[in-house]
Amino acid sequence: MDYLLIFVLLFPLFSAFLLLFFPDQSKKHQLLIKNFALQSSLINFIASLFLWVGFDSSTAKFQYMSAFNWFSSLASQNEPIYGSSFVIGIDGISLFFVILATFLTPVCIFVGWSSIQRYVKEYCIAFLVLETFMIAVFCTLDLLLFYVFFESVLIPMFIIIGVWGSRERKIRAAYQFFLYTLFGSVLMLLAILFIFFQAGTTDLTILLTTDFSEKRQLLLFLAFFASFAVKVPMVPVHIWLPEAHVEAPTAGSVILAGILLKLGTYGFLRFSIPMFPQASLYFAPLIYAMSLIAIVYTSLTTLRQVDLKKIIAYSSVAHMNFVTIGLFSLNAQGIEGSILLMLSHGLVSPALFLCVGALYDRHKTRILRYYGGCVHAMPIFSVLFLFFTMANISLPGTSSFVGEFLILVGVFQSNSFVAIVAATGMVLGAAYALWLYNRVVFGHFKAPYISYYTDLNRREFVMFFPFILGILWMGITPNVFLDPIHCSVANLIQ
Amino acid sequence: MIDLLIIFPELFLLNAAISLLVYGVTFQVEKKTILSSIGILSLCSLFLTGLLLVNQPVNFSNFFFYSCIIDNFTFFFKITIIVSSFIVLLMSRKYIKETRVYAFENLILVLLAVSTMMILVSAYDLLPLYLAIELQSLCFYVLAASKRNSEFSTEAGLKYFLLGAFSSGILLFGFSLIYGFTGMTNFEDLAKLSYTQIFLDSQMPLSMTIGIIFIAVGFLFKMTAVPFHMWAPDVYEGSPTYITAFFAIVPKIAILGVFLRLFDLSLHGFFDQWETVFVLSSLASMLLGSVAAMAQQKLKRLLAYSSIGHVGLMFIGFCCGTIEGVQALLIYIVVYMIMSCGLFALALCLQKNDNEDSETQFVQSISQLASLGKTNPILAFTFTIIMFSMAGIPPLAGFCSKFYLFFAALSSSLYLLAFIGVLTSVISCFYYIRFVKIMYFQTETMSLKQKSFSTISFESSAVLAMVGIFLVFFFIYPSPLFLWTHKTAIALCF
Repeated sequence: MDYLLIFVLLFPLFSAFLLLFFPDQSKKHQLLIKNFALQSSLINFIASLFLWVGFDSSTAKFQYMSAFNWFSSLASQNEPIYGSSFVIGIDGISLFFVILATFLTPVCIFVGWSSIQRYVKEYCIAFLVLETFMIAVFCTLDLLLFYVFFESVLIPMFIIIGVWGSRERKIRAAYQFFLYTLFGSVLMLLAILFIFFQAGTTDLTILLTTDFSEKRQLLLFLAFFASFAVKVPMVPVHIWLPEAHVEAPTAGSVILAGILLKLGTYGFLRFSIPMFPQASLYFAPLIYAMSLIAIVYTSLTTLRQVDLKKIIAYSSVAHMNFVTIGLFSLNAQGIEGSILLMLSHGLVSPALFLCVGALYDRHKTRILRYYGGCVHAMPIFSVLFLFFTMANISLPGTSSFVGEFLILVGVFQSNSFVAIVAATGMVLGAAYALWLYNRVVFGHFKAPYISYYTDLNRREFVMFFPFILGILWMGITPNVFLDPIHCSVANLIQ
Repeated sequence: MIDLLIIFPELFLLNAAISLLVYGVTFQVEKKTILSSIGILSLCSLFLTGLLLVNQPVNFSNFFFYSCIIDNFTFFFKITIIVSSFIVLLMSRKYIKETRVYAFENLILVLLAVSTMMILVSAYDLLPLYLAIELQSLCFYVLAASKRNSEFSTEAGLKYFLLGAFSSGILLFGFSLIYGFTGMTNFEDLAKLSYTQIFLDSQMPLSMTIGIIFIAVGFLFKMTAVPFHMWAPDVYEGSPTYITAFFAIVPKIAILGVFLRLFDLSLHGFFDQWETVFVLSSLASMLLGSVAAMAQQKLKRLLAYSSIGHVGLMFIGFCCGTIEGVQALLIYIVVYMIMSCGLFALALCLQKNDNEDSETQFVQSISQLASLGKTNPILAFTFTIIMFSMAGIPPLAGFCSKFYLFFAALSSSLYLLAFIGVLTSVISCFYYIRFVKIMYFQTETMSLKQKSFSTISFESSAVLAMVGIFLVFFFIYPSPLFLWTHKTAIALCF
């Protein structure tokens, strides 16, 4: 049982390695490759569910711990040994992110079943390698290794956007994605090295007990912030996200919205808040302000976008900034709510991108004005799209509602003004989401533009099904998800 | 007698070179076959030298009346030199055959240069240092101009000769000032002198400072660091590619090794005097290396500027003046050597068959790499790994070496250097990932026939495969290199 986490971590990598030896010429081989990749990622998903089954939610300790010595240097004789080791383990906070990552990978492979025609093998390998990196980010307990995996996600993602993206602008998008993230995170690298130098280790469990002087905390917090704010994304540095989303293939958007956006908020939660508590308190107003601007601004921006994917991308920005508000309310409700909203957004937003992908696969356009009256041609699709739109505006009964509600409760305790402004975000969210749905589904069917139409096929329907299940489950009985989180969060805010 | 035993590897290589010369001159009627057999024999002699080096009975000794030394430090550099020149010769076999320049003397000059570089690393006195530098430079002047019917090569040789001779003059002047002032040339004497009370208490005599700065300038010339880098891009571009590969990689290691000893051991007492020079040069090199490379279209020129940037990064380790700094520098040297071997292997093996009749063309400009991802997917993949590693993206080996360098810089309070280093490595990502863009993302405009590259030789593919595997998997188990370099660094400082 203890090796389960290692298995979950390494199995995708192993199957990606096996895939290298598959031939990739004929249609039959391609099907074999897809089958193999899908099955191995499904196995991994099921294995990760066992992580949840065996999870002890009565403790805040890290579970499934294992450690391997990575490198040590005996640089200075009088000082402690500098070293780093591969320490992995999960607690309540990271448990569901690991499961989310393993859940979305088979979806990604499944969504490319018919739309990916070239470089099939590379496609599967990229996603499997990406899966390992993502799981590693969430379960590593070493600051340096966190940085390593946080960054290494860039390589497969850069290739995914660049190779399987749909238009010529994809190169620009891939560059933006790459360089924005890199620019942000190198400051974090310096901060990590500085911490390494001061504390002699990058093991998180030891670092949590280390005290940094207040002035230093502020600087280190800002350095971490520079990196996480790009990933979240906070407002001045969010430009890469709509670009990357629009140009990425559907599966790329799924991963981008589902997991990669969570890396920044997860980083805040795991590193910034517990390691630099005073600095977190000090900078909370700044983050409130930036997040509020982001929520209102991106919600308004969404109203005037004409690209389907851009609209959903901007709505992701708004939701993720909701999450940062919840995190920096620094009380149990706020933080639990934001974890729940992250998970919920990890289901809703990928589902919406899958919807857009389904439209794009049929009509090869994402410009809004060519769509209209989809309900006449695609009734099943319209129903599903409605469901996910409602989940996106956090209708009670869906998962997002619980998350946003808890966030607002938490924030209201610490700063009621912020709660009031943030609540307007919900109204604006409803505005753009409903208007988008209105323009795509209702109205007259635009026959001159859309000549070929079919409803969802069985494969696509099956693909949507787990999302619906997850969203409803999380919305109706959120305690199932909150129970494992409680202890860890309580431990974190102490 | 024992002294001769100590330098047995060098003697062996020298003798091997001379025997090969005699063999080549005697049997040079069959030019084509003699070239290939001398190629194999020189590889064998390098290999045997490596064996002799590893199995050397004496580990630590001063010899030739304290003018030379062997210890762990020289062992490290000698091994690196032997391995890198072995790899370069190995991968240039096909290139030499294809270019139809039947000058076997080039190979013998390479062997001579290698043996002098081994002596250079062992130098423990200013005189052998200068003599060895001159001897290896002479070999390179001839090599750079070896393609007589090409204007570029002649020009490169001329430029290299003029500037190399000039820099040697500066170096010699620095040595003579030091000697004139102190009356001693031995490293150990200088080290003892530099810590005496005279220098610690009173201010430095001007001539000593000037002497040190002259030595530093000569060294910067040889290392192509920024204010004195003018010759590098032209010479890199003009010389035959395998010669470029050779003097882009090997002499840098040797010169860095011996000057590391000179500056960090014997002139360490004058740290304040030379640190500023190197800090400034490091800053300038990193900035220029990253910015100027962006505008390059030619492969070899780009490599030249990128190597200037990397030299700037290496100087960070130089400036620290601590064991960690030296260790970081050594790690960087090893990783950089491997990465550039990979890059040059590519430059040496990629040919385009434009049409059947005319001579095969080696790839010269970057844009010729277009659609390599389609025609040679594995090659393109390896190349991508090398490029990402050069850019320092985790989890590749290039990242590990960079992060340790920055760590060393932070721990000796070189904040500005670390910051600029991090910043420029992000900027340099622009042109490193441009390769990836060209290979994978660009839509093809050429016909199929133009696209095709000839198959690469077995040697090159072996080299590339090893480089790729090293870069990917180094991250998992870096301890051996860390320990080895640590041992080496300790050997320098005590």
